[in-house]
Amino acid sequence: MVKKKKAAARRKAARSSGPTRRKKSAARARSQRAVGGRWTGWKRVAGLTLLLVSFLGGLFVSRWVLELDQVVVERFEGRTFAVPSRVFSAPLIVYPGADWQRLELADWLLRLGYREQPEGGAIEPGRYVWSPGRLRVHLRSFDHPARPEPARELIFELAQGQVVGILDAQSGQLMDVVVLEPEPVSAFLGRDREQRDLVEIEEVPPHLVDAIFAVEDQRFTAHHGVDLRRVLGAVWANLRAGRITQGASTLTQQLVKNFFLTPERTFSRKLQEACMALIVEARFSKPEILQAYLNEIYLGQRGATAVHGVGEASRLYFGKSAADLTVAEAALIAAIIQSPNGISPHRRPERAVARRDLVLGLMRDQGRISNRSYQAAVAEPLRLATIQTETGEVRYFLDALSQQLPEVYAGEVLTSEGLRIYSTLDPRLQRAAARALRQGLERIEASVSDSSKPQGSLQGCLIALRPQTGEVLALVGGRDYGQSQFNRCTQARRQVGSVFKPFVYVAALDRRTGPAVTLASFIEDEPFEVEVPGDDQIWRPENYDHIFRGPVSVREALERSLNVPAARLGEQVGMTRVVELARRLGIRSPLPAVPSLALGTAEISPLELARAYATLANGGRRPTPRMFVDVVEINGMAQESRPLDASVAVLDPATAYLGVSLLEGVVDRGTARRIRSAGLKGPIAAKTGTTDDEFDLWFVGFTPELVAVVWVGYDEPGPVGMPSSRGALPIWADFLKQAVGTEVRGRFAQPRGIVRVDVDPTSGALALSGCPARKPELFLEGTQPVATCPPSKERGGSESGFRRTLRRWFGAD
Amino acid sequence: MSKEGMMRWRIAASCKGPVLVLVLAGIAACGTPQLAPPQTVEPIRISQALGQGDPARRASIRLVVQGLEEDEAGRPQRARGSYERALQVDPTNPYAYLAMARHDLALGEAEDALDFIEQAAALFESEGLRRPEVGVHLIGLRAEALRAGGSNEEAQLYYETAGDLAPEVWGDGVLSASELR
Repeated sequence: MVKKKKAAARRKAARSSGPTRRKKSAARARSQRAVGGRWTGWKRVAGLTLLLVSFLGGLFVSRWVLELDQVVVERFEGRTFAVPSRVFSAPLIVYPGADWQRLELADWLLRLGYREQPEGGAIEPGRYVWSPGRLRVHLRSFDHPARPEPARELIFELAQGQVVGILDAQSGQLMDVVVLEPEPVSAFLGRDREQRDLVEIEEVPPHLVDAIFAVEDQRFTAHHGVDLRRVLGAVWANLRAGRITQGASTLTQQLVKNFFLTPERTFSRKLQEACMALIVEARFSKPEILQAYLNEIYLGQRGATAVHGVGEASRLYFGKSAADLTVAEAALIAAIIQSPNGISPHRRPERAVARRDLVLGLMRDQGRISNRSYQAAVAEPLRLATIQTETGEVRYFLDALSQQLPEVYAGEVLTSEGLRIYSTLDPRLQRAAARALRQGLERIEASVSDSSKPQGSLQGCLIALRPQTGEVLALVGGRDYGQSQFNRCTQARRQVGSVFKPFVYVAALDRRTGPAVTLASFIEDEPFEVEVPGDDQIWRPENYDHIFRGPVSVREALERSLNVPAARLGEQVGMTRVVELARRLGIRSPLPAVPSLALGTAEISPLELARAYATLANGGRRPTPRMFVDVVEINGMAQESRPLDASVAVLDPATAYLGVSLLEGVVDRGTARRIRSAGLKGPIAAKTGTTDDEFDLWFVGFTPELVAVVWVGYDEPGPVGMPSSRGALPIWADFLKQAVGTEVRGRFAQPRGIVRVDVDPTSGALALSGCPARKPELFLEGTQPVATCPPSKERGGSESGFRRTLRRWFGAD
Repeated sequence: MSKEGMMRWRIAASCKGPVLVLVLAGIAACGTPQLAPPQTVEPIRISQALGQGDPARRASIRLVVQGLEEDEAGRPQRARGSYERALQVDPTNPYAYLAMARHDLALGEAEDALDFIEQAAALFESEGLRRPEVGVHLIGLRAEALRAGGSNEEAQLYYETAGDLAPEVWGDGVLSASELR
């Protein structure tokens, strides 16, 4: 009403005003329009500017958001995690009669994360109970497309160091043999050295999810990436405390931070985190986000390797898969998310248990578990699996294995695609090899004066393989992988010295090319010179001790590792024939057919030597070295397999057997007799090798089931300061003792075509009754001596069995 | 002696069993198998060897038998795994190589099979186990390998010899996993 009156008065005033008044009014209006126009222009500019800034800002923000969105989508929809490929050993096979202590059955349980169950009752998978003379173990299932093993409870009856019986606890059936799951030996880690075992959300037990929700993000299922209620609560709590005491990150924010961002605590980073969390929530379902979180979250260290995800953490702390976690174990994993190293159950068990109980309390208070479950869980003692940190030496095996894998498994595939590679490695032998080599090198260094040591670290390598199948069982390519990744077993070619000599002798004995000698033949150990082809120089070989012994038998010459007879034999046989034989046995390195090759001047890798000696041990059949059996993809499908290649016959078995017999003599009477004094019994054949000035020490030896090569030397060649028999031999002996014990199993089987006759050791003639001395010797059938001792009066020197029998009966000598 | 007779002699010699050698020598001397009724043998079944040898050999033979069972059930990959484990326990077990030769032939891998046959033969020989009942399988498997390799004429002679010696097993020219088990 008042407004209406004022408006009427204004209209009346306007009607009553004259022309002057109107002029003034118009001028004022003009003036006002001018000022008002200026004002209006400024506002318009400001408005437009604001609009422009807002527009540009909007564009910028939109672009930023779009960029973040792209980052999120790419990471989530591509392969989300880089999962290192794992390498597993060969399985452990246990049977009645096996030496369970040598098999290290107790250690196997620990290494595989099995845990002792102190109380009685049913044994859960992954648990075991020791009692006097008995091991009861509930084996976990082993998942493999071609070689699966079921979960089952077994009873091992043990007595006097042996497994005397294996019983299936459920069926009561006695078992002849049990295959235990392979050990994870290492992994092809990426640059970040992260290890994880991916889990699917369906296989994660609900109580693990509940435990994580309870302590990390109660309202995970309700919020959209950022929990505003929790943010406000945290702000209020922090304001009251005057410092940051409470965080408000949701699981989504934690995931985003780990996935995409740096750990810095700035406002812009928090803003980015929140924005990305919203994007993630908008783009992906809650189960997808939770699964990503469960696989990404950092949960501790295994040595230098970062453990990510609940799957790997379950194995690290409890030696089992996440699916098998109890409520208390799940609560512990949730408890350590806050500070995996600060609350490490291994290093700070009290703190870990206290926080575990806090989580359990939260679970109870939030209604996630019953009070009864809570009581049971807090009463559960902390039982952790032993941490199995990888020894560096196994990395040499991995490097060599990666060379054997097909090219499709290039570096990045190995470090990111989570393959499971089943290898031929025998972890027990690998540890024995690493230990023997390390201790041996330390022993050598301790016994050589510092002044005579060359620069650099004394190095060595040890490789062991199965002669019949070529499976590489152990490989240590150097002293310290951390210092030098150069694999001296597979990449180094060093002068081999006397370990080459057996190839000369076998070439001379080879039936295929017509044997040049027998083991009873004699060779002159006298000064000898040879013109080096294509060179004006004369080569005059000498023995290690510079002594000439006159005529020596072929057997004795090799047993003593005499240089001069070996060089003479090489000349007699022809170096081309020697090279051809070495090639057949599996040597691929360049072999110059010069006289000095007979003494091992060629440079050959330890792996090649192992293969060549394996061919002798395997009756002249050359195996193909094999380091992996198959590759299984992350989805459990077999991808690539390397079936056992049959060994190929390259040498007459009888000739190979003569070679083996020669090398047995080297151990029994020759330069490797320290093997026997080290307490090793049974069939062992071996050869020592020391190059000029003791630069390279070699020892190659085999049993019917194992070939091993040891090399010791400096990368930059220099004198080691002792011969092979004192340097490399003890390493080999230590290894063999740890690998098979002091009693070597089996025998070198004698093939057809070998005859054993007594000969006169001074002449090599057939020893008859009346010969002053005799010793048994092996010959290829048809090459046994014709001449007799004492000489026969009959033509040809041989006498009939009938005449011999008569002489023996009637004492005609 | 005819060429065929000579071949039979060679095959017999490769078998190396005293009974078989005598039998085949008779056959070879006669030139044709029709002239002398062949003496048959009961070929070995690997399960008969269960319980023989030292603990490692016994375990290894058990694994070979498990492999044969897998082959019978049509699971060749699992069978292969068992054979390889058998060799892990005892790499000198000739039965494992025999079973792998059969397995490879069933999968058409004749070249590898021939090498396994030779390895088995060498190990049986060196262990003094190369008896006629083993030899007949070596002859028969060699026939299969030769046929797969295209040497049909030679394969036929080996087949006939194996078939004459063990008609119930080798009469059809194939050694099944169950027959070897």
